[in-house]
Amino acid sequence: MQGQPPKTRSPWLTTLLDNWFLLAVLVFLLLLPHLVGWLTDSSPYGVQRGTRFIMQGRSVFWQSVFIEIYALAVLVMSYNLMFGFTGVISFGHALFFGLGGYIVGMMWQYTDIAPDLGLGLSIILTMAVTGLLGFFIGLVSLRLRGIYFAIFTLAVAEMVWIYVGRWPLTNGEDGFSISRMPEWLDPSRNRLNLYYIGLALFVFTFLFIRRLVNSPTGTVFQAIRENEERAKTIGYHTLTYKLIAITIASMMAGGAGILHALLNKKLGPEMFGVVYTVDALLMTIIGGVGTFIGPVIGAGSLHIADVLFRDANTSILGFNIGENWLLITGFIFVIVVLVFPYGMVGTWRRAQSWLSQRWRNRRQQKVAMTRTGQPVEDSRA
Amino acid sequence: MMKQLAGNRNDSWVVIAGLIVAIVIFAYFSAGGNMGTFTITLLSGLLRAMLLFLVAAGLSLIFGLMGILNFAQGAYFMVGAYLAYDIQHPTSGVISLGQHIPNPELRFLVGIIVAIAVGGALGAILETVLLRPLYKRHLFQLVLTFGVSLIMLEGIKAVWSTTPYTWLENIGIQTQRFVIFGASFSYYRLFIIAMGVLLIIGVALLLRRTRIGIIIRAGVEDSEMVSALGINVRSVFTLVFTLGCAMAAFGGAVAAPFLGATIGMGNTFLLASIAVIVLGGLGSYEGTAVGSVIVGLAWATMEQFSIRPGVGSVWASITPMLLLALVLLLRPKGLFGEER
Repeated sequence: MQGQPPKTRSPWLTTLLDNWFLLAVLVFLLLLPHLVGWLTDSSPYGVQRGTRFIMQGRSVFWQSVFIEIYALAVLVMSYNLMFGFTGVISFGHALFFGLGGYIVGMMWQYTDIAPDLGLGLSIILTMAVTGLLGFFIGLVSLRLRGIYFAIFTLAVAEMVWIYVGRWPLTNGEDGFSISRMPEWLDPSRNRLNLYYIGLALFVFTFLFIRRLVNSPTGTVFQAIRENEERAKTIGYHTLTYKLIAITIASMMAGGAGILHALLNKKLGPEMFGVVYTVDALLMTIIGGVGTFIGPVIGAGSLHIADVLFRDANTSILGFNIGENWLLITGFIFVIVVLVFPYGMVGTWRRAQSWLSQRWRNRRQQKVAMTRTGQPVEDSRA
Repeated sequence: MMKQLAGNRNDSWVVIAGLIVAIVIFAYFSAGGNMGTFTITLLSGLLRAMLLFLVAAGLSLIFGLMGILNFAQGAYFMVGAYLAYDIQHPTSGVISLGQHIPNPELRFLVGIIVAIAVGGALGAILETVLLRPLYKRHLFQLVLTFGVSLIMLEGIKAVWSTTPYTWLENIGIQTQRFVIFGASFSYYRLFIIAMGVLLIIGVALLLRRTRIGIIIRAGVEDSEMVSALGINVRSVFTLVFTLGCAMAAFGGAVAAPFLGATIGMGNTFLLASIAVIVLGGLGSYEGTAVGSVIVGLAWATMEQFSIRPGVGSVWASITPMLLLALVLLLRPKGLFGEER
């Protein structure tokens, strides 16, 4: 490595070259609605009927799939910030997701505030409520051992889930539909707008988490994950850092909930339920705990599998995959935790470094052999 | 106030007595001064407490010994209830095992035994096959038990569908009732309360008087030390896990005649049991016993209270979680826990 001339590339070019893969993905996602539309001969705006657009066609369908992926990816990335980077496990992350959805839905459906203003207000309110609630839950339970945080989040989420399920105002178990929302955002009229808003939220969250984790604060997060006692001994007030991580993660989950509500326009207590927590956990682990793109890959692959198998009601050898999808998900979950605990990204990286290590060893052996003329024992043996 | 509450062990009993007296007074108030209703509320509370103990004892011992909070414990309770229901009702069930046993009383016994056996076997499988490989990684063990609870819940849904089952075929002891202060209570429930008390004493004796119990208690204190003394701690782990899961399944089986078999029951009892062990102090056996009595009484009292107009049944459902939140706020180490 010595003797190389100092790098003379401009910082902009370095950034571009270092992130070429992510930028290519971004360009792909930006073009996706048009690309699908071009390939399947359907308009990304839907089918025009008079002055309105009807949401039909493959392009529009895949837009909705990807908006949901963005919402889930934001949820999963926020979960990964706690679980993967700070080492704090929560079993009630769906609570914040549901809060975001319900706040925006109720703002439009149960108040007379103009939809545009209502959206702004509900975003502010969601951030305030989820942030404060996450902070409070963390403050109460994180003074104690990590297990208490898992217990307390589960209890609070379950409590809110039961309460919302019987709340007469929001029709209890049945939930309610959003019928009043800004037209430019309405997925049944202008879905492409919502697609780009979802993409923007997703990209923002991704960059924010990457920046945060690579900052000095993020380094402390990872120190806490590796060894909290040691981080404490060095002099960091670990509770503060964990609270920062939880507050930010809760707010992001609230944002994901808003996006989910905008897309589906139908809200029910299941948004608070254990299913979304399991999703967040599973997608984090399948993609790769403590990596940046792992959660995104996890959310994308699982949701696409969900669309392909569950909704299509596929059955193989008389076994209905669609009906038993959650059961299969559970098995995948357990197998991944046991066999591939580092997820797709982590396993790939490990395999890569193992292969290159092997290759390097072999080369060293060869070099040594040519020097001494005798085989040399493997240094790792 | 906080400092006073977090006192030493003797203070714990004062706090417990205070809590129980407060709940009993509240129960009397909820019953509207009716002695019959009041007694039934307390008896239902004790019944609930015994069921909670069956789930929470395993949860607490497993946590104390291995440091794992077994999130699948509620699912074992549910498996017990479904098996007992299915064997008792050969016509409406899914497994036709009950058809070969003509006598309903025998069927009930077989149902309980099958529930215990299946619960224990599933517990042993969970510990040996799934948790052992993750021995040094507690966070992933926690995640794994959560995943297993998901599999068990979805497995039950796949076999028995999501329809709630109500117990239809009552055998002798379940129909006989006695009257107290003008209100009637079934002998079967009284029998379960008595059996629960016997189990609390039995497990306490097992823990205090037998060699294996001493090993378990020593393991709760310091499992590495026990293993350094030449005792195979792993096999003790498996034993405790099996016993804990078998007890939870047994609880589900005896509860099925009045709770039926529903897919929500596992989660409900899991959360209430978590409230119990946090209230009692994680890993403390006496804390678990006392905690289940307190949570059970409070739960039944709130159920009685929520019948009153303008309260709403939702408050009864969230009582265990509210208690859990209060304990974490006011006295996080629990009644018998150590400072952590």
